[in-house]
Amino acid sequence: MATGTAAVSHAEAVMGTVVSITVVPGGPSSQPTGRAIESACAALHRADRIFSTWDPQSPVSRLRRGAATLRDLPAEVAQVLDLCEEARRTSGGWFDPWSLPGGVDPTGLVKGWAVDQALAILRQAGMPAAMVNGGGDIAVFGAPEPGQKWRIGIRHPWRADALAAVVDVTAAIATSGSYERGQHLVSPFTGRPSSQAASATVTGPSLAFADALATALAVGGDAVLAMLAGLDGYDGYLIRPDGSEADTGGIAFG
Amino acid sequence: MKRAPLFVLAGTAAGLAGVLSFHTRPLTSAALASPASPAALSTHGQGSGGQGSGGQRKGPAARKRSAGPASVPTAPAGVRSVVGATEQYGYGQLAVKVSVRGSRITDVTVPVIQVAEQYSQQLAGQAFPVLRSEVLSAQTARINGVSGATYTSEAYAASLQAALDKLHIK
Repeated sequence: MATGTAAVSHAEAVMGTVVSITVVPGGPSSQPTGRAIESACAALHRADRIFSTWDPQSPVSRLRRGAATLRDLPAEVAQVLDLCEEARRTSGGWFDPWSLPGGVDPTGLVKGWAVDQALAILRQAGMPAAMVNGGGDIAVFGAPEPGQKWRIGIRHPWRADALAAVVDVTAAIATSGSYERGQHLVSPFTGRPSSQAASATVTGPSLAFADALATALAVGGDAVLAMLAGLDGYDGYLIRPDGSEADTGGIAFG
Repeated sequence: MKRAPLFVLAGTAAGLAGVLSFHTRPLTSAALASPASPAALSTHGQGSGGQGSGGQRKGPAARKRSAGPASVPTAPAGVRSVVGATEQYGYGQLAVKVSVRGSRITDVTVPVIQVAEQYSQQLAGQAFPVLRSEVLSAQTARINGVSGATYTSEAYAASLQAALDKLHIK
């Protein structure tokens, strides 16, 4: 167990992955830590129920096959699709949940969005600091220890046992890579597999957006990196397939 | 030609799967620098074999594992730890260790992760470019989490559940 911190860790199996929650308890007017974590987990499960593309009865599945319209569905669906549209525009079309056959698939943004929701609950509960890590997509606030920043390693694209970099994170970080088995990054423009990156990392204030933009960066490579350089609040770190690296300058490498 | 039959790593998949040990924990020996170092093999192999159920050992990596008696690290009073079943993930096997105080999880780590021979040979046979940044050891870097795709989640969740079952935690 960690020394020098009373941080509480919790692991929740949800959304097809394991979400870990780390809370630094002890805010002046905070809820009990356990209850706050329960609420955060409830939000994750709710997101899972709404957005599961595996469950044919989930709201998003019904929307995809045309069995329901947005008006029939929980408000979160429209909210997430709005964010998807914004991410599509922001990424110059490199992130496009509408480009694949089979109906709109917001999966590339939903995990980040759900983690954002969970983190917001912990913040509203008065926790002084917390981290929610949704299978490698991470959102944080506060300081893990007094005067410290959350330090996040970026997985090395070719060595599962190593890190390519360490980054100080103040809000959100998402990484997408072609090394992941079973992940097929498809260009929205050609409909064919495309990967201009061995690893694509995006940091910024919203994990929903960082998640979507990391996917865009992985598919679009340098073209998307240039776009990120002009996008307020967001930064990108690209490892190209040849091992060369580039970043937008705003990432705090540790 | 045979080379580096196995990687045996400590704590790495924890980050991949999204749950990280705190850096202040004394980490088990870093097997990073020399993949398949014999010391790392025996240390981690025994630690996991005894603690875990050892069930579901299938695949090429399994034969390297020994089923020795448990070596339980010392833990603060009131904290119970157990290692879940060894599970297959995309490239090998892993086992999750969970620590609880009462019914509350205080820590989750991955003491055992092995990359199957086939995949490690595949890696060894490819001339991957060297990154500008030096490769950092996930074991020794002071980090709170790892960002990157997770391919271990199902195995991770299954092993975690097995560990919780052993601790009689719902």
